[in-house]
Amino acid sequence: MADFSWDIRSPLDRALVAGPYGAQGEAGVSLTEIRDFDLVQVMARRGKAGEMMKAATARFGVAAPETPKAIGTADATLIWSGPDQFLVLSKDGKHSIEALDSVFAGSASLSDQSHARALISVSGDKARAMLAKLSSIDLHPDVFGVGAAAATSMDHTSVTLWRGQDRADGQAVFDLLVFATFAASLWHTILDAAAEYGVTIGHSEDLA
Amino acid sequence: MRGDQANRLNDGGLIDRSTPLNFRFDGKILFGFKGDTLASALIANGVKLVGRSFKYHRPRGILTAGSEEPNALVELRSGARREPNTKATTAELYEGLEAASQNRWPSLKFDVMSVNQLFAPIFVAGFYYKTFMWPAKFWEAIYEPAIRRAAGLGRAAGVSDPDHYDKAWAHCDVVIAGSGPAGLAAALAAGRSGARVILCEEDFVLGGRLLADGGTIDGLPAAEWIARAVAELEAMPDVRIMTRTTLFGVYDGGTYGAIERVNDHLPVPPKHQVRQRLWRIVAKRCVVAAGAIERPIVFAGNDTPGVMMASAMRSYINRYAATPARRIALFTNNEDGWRTAETAIATGLQVAAVIDARPDVSPAHRALAGRGGFPVLHGSVSGVDGGKNGVRKISVSLTGGARGEVEADGLAVSGGWNPAVGLTSYHRGRPKWRDDIAAFVPDGAPPGMAAAGAANGAFGLGACLREGFEAGAAAARDAGHSGNIGSMSVADDEAFSLTPLWHVAGKGKAFVDQQHDVTASDVELAQREGFESVEHLKRYTTLGMATDQGKTSNIAGLAIMAAVSGKSIPETGTTIYRPPYVPVAIGAFAGHHRDENFHATRLTPSHHWAVEQGAVFVDTGLWKRAQWYPRAGEKDWLESVTREVKAVRSGVGFCDVSTLGKIDVHGPDAGAFLDRVYINAFSSLAVGKARYGLMLREDGIVYDDGTTSRLAEDHYFLTTTTAKAGLVMQHLEFCRQVLFPELDVQLTSVSDQWAQFSIAGPKTRDLLKEIVDPAEDLSSEGFPFMGAREVALRGGLKARLFRISFSGEMAFEISVPARYGEAMARNLMIAGKPFGVTPYGTEALGVMRIEKGHVAGPELNGTTTAADLGLGKMMSTKKDFIGRVMAAREALVAPNRQVVVGIKPTDKARRLRSGAHIIPKGETPGPENDQGYVTSVCFSPVLDQWIGLGLVERGRERIGEIVRAHDPLRGEDYDVELCNSVFYDPDGGRQRG
Repeated sequence: MADFSWDIRSPLDRALVAGPYGAQGEAGVSLTEIRDFDLVQVMARRGKAGEMMKAATARFGVAAPETPKAIGTADATLIWSGPDQFLVLSKDGKHSIEALDSVFAGSASLSDQSHARALISVSGDKARAMLAKLSSIDLHPDVFGVGAAAATSMDHTSVTLWRGQDRADGQAVFDLLVFATFAASLWHTILDAAAEYGVTIGHSEDLA
Repeated sequence: MRGDQANRLNDGGLIDRSTPLNFRFDGKILFGFKGDTLASALIANGVKLVGRSFKYHRPRGILTAGSEEPNALVELRSGARREPNTKATTAELYEGLEAASQNRWPSLKFDVMSVNQLFAPIFVAGFYYKTFMWPAKFWEAIYEPAIRRAAGLGRAAGVSDPDHYDKAWAHCDVVIAGSGPAGLAAALAAGRSGARVILCEEDFVLGGRLLADGGTIDGLPAAEWIARAVAELEAMPDVRIMTRTTLFGVYDGGTYGAIERVNDHLPVPPKHQVRQRLWRIVAKRCVVAAGAIERPIVFAGNDTPGVMMASAMRSYINRYAATPARRIALFTNNEDGWRTAETAIATGLQVAAVIDARPDVSPAHRALAGRGGFPVLHGSVSGVDGGKNGVRKISVSLTGGARGEVEADGLAVSGGWNPAVGLTSYHRGRPKWRDDIAAFVPDGAPPGMAAAGAANGAFGLGACLREGFEAGAAAARDAGHSGNIGSMSVADDEAFSLTPLWHVAGKGKAFVDQQHDVTASDVELAQREGFESVEHLKRYTTLGMATDQGKTSNIAGLAIMAAVSGKSIPETGTTIYRPPYVPVAIGAFAGHHRDENFHATRLTPSHHWAVEQGAVFVDTGLWKRAQWYPRAGEKDWLESVTREVKAVRSGVGFCDVSTLGKIDVHGPDAGAFLDRVYINAFSSLAVGKARYGLMLREDGIVYDDGTTSRLAEDHYFLTTTTAKAGLVMQHLEFCRQVLFPELDVQLTSVSDQWAQFSIAGPKTRDLLKEIVDPAEDLSSEGFPFMGAREVALRGGLKARLFRISFSGEMAFEISVPARYGEAMARNLMIAGKPFGVTPYGTEALGVMRIEKGHVAGPELNGTTTAADLGLGKMMSTKKDFIGRVMAAREALVAPNRQVVVGIKPTDKARRLRSGAHIIPKGETPGPENDQGYVTSVCFSPVLDQWIGLGLVERGRERIGEIVRAHDPLRGEDYDVELCNSVFYDPDGGRQRG
């Protein structure tokens, strides 16, 4: 009997080359792909939004976002994705679709998106300048503070964008969830946009 | 290495004399300094002749010192970077700059086509509508190309642009166009109040007219005031100053277009940098402080090199320390023009005379004339003696009728100032006429936009500062900022006095639009011929239609039209203003969307594995799909595809079908919802089963098809065609949110969540047994045709298995989460190795579906009904669904509709081509006998001949009939037989096996 190995491969596995890219010197943009996450779309059933919110609060200890926000909890991020719906981003099966199934039974429909997206974390001095080439969203800190989120598009590609917790050095962090089959294409566009600032590229298994 | 620079003043100017630069003009090496434009450097080197005109090939020099320049257009750079029609007046000088004059042959000084001037009577306005009419067929072949060669401007590079362009968004409270006194004052007020400000300046230095005209502000020399203002602005974190950036347009919702010439001032952009960047600026408010453009007076010989706008002459002398002439005459109708005489005297140049069209001249200017020893002539310039070497002598018509002559090598002209009303007029605002300044000023500006300073008709320095400051403060306040704006800068206002003068009658050509060679007599001719409306005037004479968009000519043209048609200027009106304010390279609009980045691409989960296999890819929409997998020794695609089909039909093969749209349909009403969007029932589908579904548009035409499976009581998994994946998702969301809000149903696109493979062929089950957990029952009883359920794979992974077939063979589709897609392809190869597994591409997929008579894109073409496709019986009569009512329309159920039928040539060796028309035997091909056409073709390895599907009138009733396939495009005409559309295994035994 043949031996089957089920290697998991990120949609950016080939496109992403860790290390420096573009202009030399201090990198203005840092790009990190976060791999192997769980992502579940939670959508309230008709007339059950209140129940869904209660179930979410009981599960996560915080209220799920009802406006374009991303709310961090101890082991998950809840990201607004539309009226009466949000995404649950987590690791290691803690809040996988199987784990959440009973939590939202009767109040919400769940759809697994874990493999449907790639997650790219952008930071650095020039992160905002680079993202201004891709996004029509105003990312000024007064307008798009920590926890702000947007369902938007970059380079004609649907993207969920939110501002995560600042880095230890105070730099803002922007997280992008992009559809997996578009990811390599958008990745090249991001590199094009960032090259003039100098880029440092990496990947990580950890959610920031 | 400063070179000769004979016309460079020894000191002064905003040039950096410590950074000399060399450059070439028409091959000749010349020198200039950092801070020069190409035009100022040419002037410093004594170059007067810069180009030849568009139509008459007349010698032309430099008229202005800004982006309104009509004459001094050059080809800048060389090779792939050659840019035609670049204004020497805005091109920043850099080391090694190469420029060439345009529109001349063999050389600028001796131009053969200047003979056109002799034929000038022929080349009047609209000449090509009147001449070259006969014979008509000569127009396209001979006349037009010849005219275009003789006219035309510079040459495009003709090869791909090696540089990159960029696009970016910016957001602010207040965007300001222009950094003259009004713009800087506006930025200070808005910035101090706490607003986010973007200040755009098209020049590479901030200051606007202050750079040339100086002045005293807050008791400081202008240069010092600018430096202080800029330092204060630069210290504000939310003020962004963008030089080399032109705000060129305003769009809906407070969006502005701007073009930043990031690296045009360098020979080649530094590595990783772009040449230009297109900005979309979203601003709550806009202050237009774009200044004003000095206007010429139209007189005979006004295009002679050496005739220059008075303000431009001051710019060259004061800002660039370059003297356009040694002995200057000034022709003015207003007070401001005199500043050029003041500048000339202060610089030690000779003033030959001032010709002033006004009845009076101020005592101060009389005194200046006395000190400078030059005459003041009351009257107008009526002619210029000179040519390619510049101005020699000027004829003057003195008030009272006498004539005079003035010897000079340069003539400065001032006809007053036109506020730059472009931006304020781009939303169909019509500028309004102000008699006191004899100029149009902004009116009807787009919401949130206000003009200030000279752009608003306030020409005094004090007024510019005041209006700018107030406009900046108001804009910031409107945007919600109320910080302390501090105090306003102050300056005196200059005296203003102007007597309108547009055109001086005289002998010889008097040019209105110098770039398009439109003369005053062309305007008069247009009026005589009935083209009196300014919009007609523009199109008939091409006035204002050149790359400068008539910035120096439009108002003069309509003023002349007003005079000859006996109307006032405001009655005559302006043409409609449209963006962009300056030409914007198409490359900037494209940004990085070129070559392989022309559009986004989508890759299937097994893409990189398919690359390793040597697959040939085809673009289907945004997708890259494996089309076939060539093997060594195969001579063409047909051989590869035929091998793949035979391998599937006799053994087993697999194909990545992840491009199909996939939608999770959740909720207690999911079944009821699908009943309404599909023509057939889905609420009755058992859990664990799949069903083929067809959906119609509201108008009864087929929209899309696909297989939908019921995975749980309240969960269906719907698939769409690749092409319609996004559209069907939109359609279903519309149905859910708008049409059927009462249903409890939730939709999620899961197209990217699942890697899906079709595994087909008689040995499919053998392959699956290798990879699926042995506990799973894959027998016909355990997993019947159209079954759908989750299975465990060896190694613990869960997959979804669907027993569905597109190929007509025993087949399954298997889905795994997408990041396992590549592993799945590899494992299918391992599992199938004993059975000769063959990966196949979209071509083999297409062959097998045609052999099986399945319809696809060519048949689901937006004109066909379910019945046309042979699927009419699927339309449920027990329920309502989208498209049901409209599908019953008379024309959609007519018995003579073109329906899907099989087609095969009677000559088995003949190749059938899609697109061939079906004509009854014995009839003449033509629309009246056209009965349909061939939609899909393939070479069928099973039948060993070309076969196809077609849409043919009453096709299903005519099985066995021989008709003609008429293909005029390819010059073919042959007999074909109409046959059953299911060529292969018509009773379906194989897929159920």
